[in-house]
Amino acid sequence: MTTTDKPAQESTLGSPSPDEPGAQTLTLSVGPQHSGSGHMRLIVELDGDIIINAEPDPGYVHRGIEKIIELRNIIRSIPVIERPSIIDASNLNHAWVKAIEELQGVEPPARGQYLRCLLNEMNRIMSHLYWLSIYGVFLGHTTMFMWPLGDRELFIDLAESLTGARITYSYLVPGGVRRDLPQGFAEEAIKRTEYFEKRLDEYENIFFKNPLFTSRAKGVGVLSRQRAIELGATGPTLRGSGVDADLRKDEPYAAYSELDFKVHTRPDGDSYSRVMVHVDEMRESSQLIRQILEKMPSGPVRRKAPIVVPRGEAYGRVESARGECSFYMIGEGGDKPYRARYITGSYRNMAAISAVLQGVRLADMPTSWWSIDYWPVEADR
Amino acid sequence: MSLSHEREDNLIKTLKENFPTDIKDATVMRRSRINVTVAPEKILDIALFLRDKLGFDHPTGVSAVDYNRESRFEIVYHLASIANPAQRDILINLKESVPRNTPKATSLVRIWPGVENFERESIEMFGLQFEGHPRPEKLFLNDNWDGPPPMRKEVRFPTD
Repeated sequence: MTTTDKPAQESTLGSPSPDEPGAQTLTLSVGPQHSGSGHMRLIVELDGDIIINAEPDPGYVHRGIEKIIELRNIIRSIPVIERPSIIDASNLNHAWVKAIEELQGVEPPARGQYLRCLLNEMNRIMSHLYWLSIYGVFLGHTTMFMWPLGDRELFIDLAESLTGARITYSYLVPGGVRRDLPQGFAEEAIKRTEYFEKRLDEYENIFFKNPLFTSRAKGVGVLSRQRAIELGATGPTLRGSGVDADLRKDEPYAAYSELDFKVHTRPDGDSYSRVMVHVDEMRESSQLIRQILEKMPSGPVRRKAPIVVPRGEAYGRVESARGECSFYMIGEGGDKPYRARYITGSYRNMAAISAVLQGVRLADMPTSWWSIDYWPVEADR
Repeated sequence: MSLSHEREDNLIKTLKENFPTDIKDATVMRRSRINVTVAPEKILDIALFLRDKLGFDHPTGVSAVDYNRESRFEIVYHLASIANPAQRDILINLKESVPRNTPKATSLVRIWPGVENFERESIEMFGLQFEGHPRPEKLFLNDNWDGPPPMRKEVRFPTD
């Protein structure tokens, strides 16, 4: 047995007699091959082609990051922190530096805060586009696979010119960001976001109004508002169930209190709602990028911060692409945290998988499941 | 940003009034962050009160911390409120301590179903036990993992 092998659940072994519970149902193991999002398995119990129960079985991409970051200094940990979701690296990095700065009492300069928001919003678009392209794959819609991945390059190029890296930037450090805007960035970014918004209109026509998509998403995989709240769902999954929770508004951090944007929600809680929340957020982030560039003050981008986690506790939370990402950090005065608890959006949304998939037809499983935007690597950490 | 902690102080006052002996410690860490340490045997009642009377209906995670020098584990429930929009930013850290040699706690899955996976992770990573947990099985670790709970402080990496 290799280290990634997990034995099947009890119920999948042997064939029960017709009187036993489970005799009339079929249990399927879906995964743990890479299904477009990282390795994980769903154990699906079927009655006919209706899913009566679906249990996620994570852990195939568990890295033990919470242990690793207890053993490294806070700067060396930054590239590790980003790994769980390289397509959303900046937001995860932000939660880390926010918890550290809370303990240190360091406030980055205003321009540094704006630059953080800039990369965060670019990452939100990049992450949503990557997710959308895989949604296209799951629906068998090849154009919707190619277009978002292609348009994602618009922002990857921008991020590269800003940070020097395409996806994992390590751009945010305690006290600010690593470097200032390169020359000509603003003009290029404005051009690209305007073009991108036109592209979203084209997506609308080819995909979001397409019966191929709507007939398999509207009214499918419903997560009620009450259920989403008590399961601790977060991000687009929670907003797709009609809850207007967004940490950028609820507990404004960095420069978000000075920016003008809307929190998008949909009341129905079905796959369609969750998808459309993502789409609305991409539009919002696109206009936010232009707004940030327009309002950005001049001045330094970084303040000196010690490589030290002072004694005490902090809870740094940010709104990442997949929901709240937070660090519960306990320091004891050294250059490493005593304990750094890493809770990501996907980890929290894992609880919503069973709730969403119950009662869904097997054929609709990939699209319903993927509408949660569950990223196994981010959940396993 | 205002420096007063009026909302936080009021929450602590209400908690202390209702559970005068069971709340061991309640402090405002900073704006929007409250630490409440409670007696493990009363955590269920306090959790119910937090959810139904104070509106903390949204679990955002559970952390376990190994204080091996003090021979105890601390279990921390991180709670937020969706029900009350005026306290959306407030996060309560509901804490309890269990001794390191008998790390038994009460599961709060019946109060907040969302803590199920987090408690499962604490079971496998720290070797804690949660009474009343519906599925105390491995979550991230292999089902055939027979090593020590890997997040405990005494467990080191081979390269350390």
